[in-house]
Amino acid sequence: MSLAATSSSDAGVPAVDVTGLVKRYGTVEALRGIDLEVRQGERFALLGPNGAGKTTLFSILATLRSPSAGSARVLGHDVVTERDAVRRSMGIVFQEPAIERKLTGRDNLLLMGLFYGLRPAEARRRAAALLASLGLADAADRATEKLSGGQRRKLELARALVTDPRILFLDEATLGLDVDARRAFWDHVRTLAASGRTVFFTTHYMEEAEVADRIALISAGRIIALDTPRALKARLGGGVISLQTDDDSRAREWLVARGFAPEGTGPELRLVHADPAAIVPELLKNLPVTVQRVEVHAPSLEDVFLKLTGRGLAIAGGAS
Amino acid sequence: MIRGIYAIMVLDLKRVWIDRVRIITGIVQPLLYLFVLGAGLGGNVRSGGADFQRFIYPGVLGLSLLFSAVFAAIIIVFDRQVGFFKAVLVSPLPRPAIAFGKIASGAAQALIQGVILLPFAPLVGVHFGLLSFFEMLGAMVLGAVAFSAMGVAAASRFTSTTVFPVISNALLLPMFFMAGALYPLRNAPHWMQVATRFDPVAYAVDLMRGAVLGQYYFPPWQSVLVLFGLVAVLGWMSVGVFNRGEDDSILGETKIKWRR
Repeated sequence: MSLAATSSSDAGVPAVDVTGLVKRYGTVEALRGIDLEVRQGERFALLGPNGAGKTTLFSILATLRSPSAGSARVLGHDVVTERDAVRRSMGIVFQEPAIERKLTGRDNLLLMGLFYGLRPAEARRRAAALLASLGLADAADRATEKLSGGQRRKLELARALVTDPRILFLDEATLGLDVDARRAFWDHVRTLAASGRTVFFTTHYMEEAEVADRIALISAGRIIALDTPRALKARLGGGVISLQTDDDSRAREWLVARGFAPEGTGPELRLVHADPAAIVPELLKNLPVTVQRVEVHAPSLEDVFLKLTGRGLAIAGGAS
Repeated sequence: MIRGIYAIMVLDLKRVWIDRVRIITGIVQPLLYLFVLGAGLGGNVRSGGADFQRFIYPGVLGLSLLFSAVFAAIIIVFDRQVGFFKAVLVSPLPRPAIAFGKIASGAAQALIQGVILLPFAPLVGVHFGLLSFFEMLGAMVLGAVAFSAMGVAAASRFTSTTVFPVISNALLLPMFFMAGALYPLRNAPHWMQVATRFDPVAYAVDLMRGAVLGQYYFPPWQSVLVLFGLVAVLGWMSVGVFNRGEDDSILGETKIKWRR
C-alpha cells in the first residue's frame, strides 16, 4: 500500500492509458473516442466546460462506470477487468463531498483505512499522521459538518491519501472554495506531486490548470488538444492585441484588407499575431483611425480554448 | 471479506450511535408495539384472552424486526445522494462485503430493538425455557437478517429518499398482515393461506411462534430453508447493484456554470 511496497517493475507503465474510449448514455454520446496517456509523476489537467465529458471520463477511471467501447488502464491495470488493483492504487477527491458529516474527521479517515484493508491500529496511526500533516489536528475530533469548507476539502484530500496512493484523482476538488483555501489546497497537492505521485485533475479554473505539466482540453466528448500549458498557448501564436479606436468598423475593414483577421464584436478588436510587439508600432502609425487604447497580452488558456472550440474570442472579449 | 463486513458495520452502527433521536425511538417503538397493540388486541379478542397475548407476542417481535431492519436500509439511499457512498464504491472493499455488511448492520440494529422486548415476555404470559429461549434467539437472528436483506435489496435500487419509504410502506404492511402475525393462519381464508406461502415474514414469525408455543404452521426446516434462500438471493442481487457502481443512475447534473 505504500510507495515503497509497490514493485519497481511497473515503473515505466503509464499512470493513465486511455484508448478509443466511448461512453454512451442511451443515445447520448458523452465520450466520443478519447485517447490519452499520462506519465507517472505527471501533473495532468483535464480542462473543459460542464457537459464536455470530464466527469464521465473521471468516473470510468475511478471504476464507477464502465466504458461502452475502448479501454482505460490505470498504472497498467484495466479499469474493467482489474478493478480491485485499480482501486487499490488510487486516491480520489470527488466534486461532491464524500465524507460522512455526522462523524468526526478522525473517524472518517479511520473507516476509510478499514475499507482499504488496513488493520484498525494501522488505520488509526495513519489517520493521525494525515491529520497532522494537513494541519487538521485541531479539527480532527469535531463532527465534520462543523468544519469550514476549506477544512472539509482538506479532509477529502486526507481521505484520498489514506492508503498512500501512487496516483491521485481530483475532480473539481476546489469547487466553491475561496481563493485562500484554494491556494492552501493546491500547496498540499504540489507537495504530494513533488514526492513522485501522479496527479490527474479536472478543473474549470484556468489558473489551476496552469500548474499542470500537461493539459488536455476536452469538448463535447473529445480531446481537442493535449500539450503543455506553454505549448498550448504558443499555438495561438505569440500574443493577443486588443485595440480600441474611435471607429472600430473602419479599423476592421482596414485590417481585413491587409490580411489580418480581427475578432470580436464588442467594444474592442482583437488580433492574434505571432509577434505582436513588432507590429503594434506599424499599426499605430498606419491605422486610418485614432487608436484610444492598445493592449498586448500573452494568450491565456481560455483564449486557446475559445479559439479551438470555434466559439471565437468575442465572448471572452465581452467578458474582459 | 470479514474485515470488510466489519468495516461497514462499524460505519453504520457508529452513525446510529451518534443519532440520539434514533436511539430513543428505537427503544420506545417496540415497547409501543407490544403494549399498545398487544393490550388493544388482547382485550378485544374474547376467545383467546391471555392465550392471545402469548399468541401475538412473536408477531409483535416480527413487526419490530421487520420495520427496523427495512428502514435501517434507508441510509443506503441517503449515502447515494451525498456522495459518501462513492468513496466506499471506489475502495477495494469486495462488493459482497458491502452488501453483506449492510445486511448485517441492518440486522444488528433490528436485533437490538427486538432483544429489548425479550425481558417483557413474562408480562404477557410468555415464559422461556433454556432451549426455547435459544430457539427464539435463533429465529430472531434469521428473521432480522432476512428482513434486512429485503431492505438492502430494495434500497440499493432507489435514489430518492422520499420514494423508498412510500414503496416500502406499501409493501411492508400487507406483508405483515398476511404473515399471520396477529391471527392464526389456520383460520384464514384459502387464498390468504396460499398467498402467505410467498410471504417471507410469515416464515420468520412462524419460527418465533414455534419457540413460544411449540406449534408451527410451516415445518421449521422449511422456514429456515426459505429464509436462508431469501438472504442468498437478495444478497446476490445487491452485490450486482453495487458492482455496477454509478451506471445505474442517470448522468449526474452539475450545478456550477462554466466560467470564462
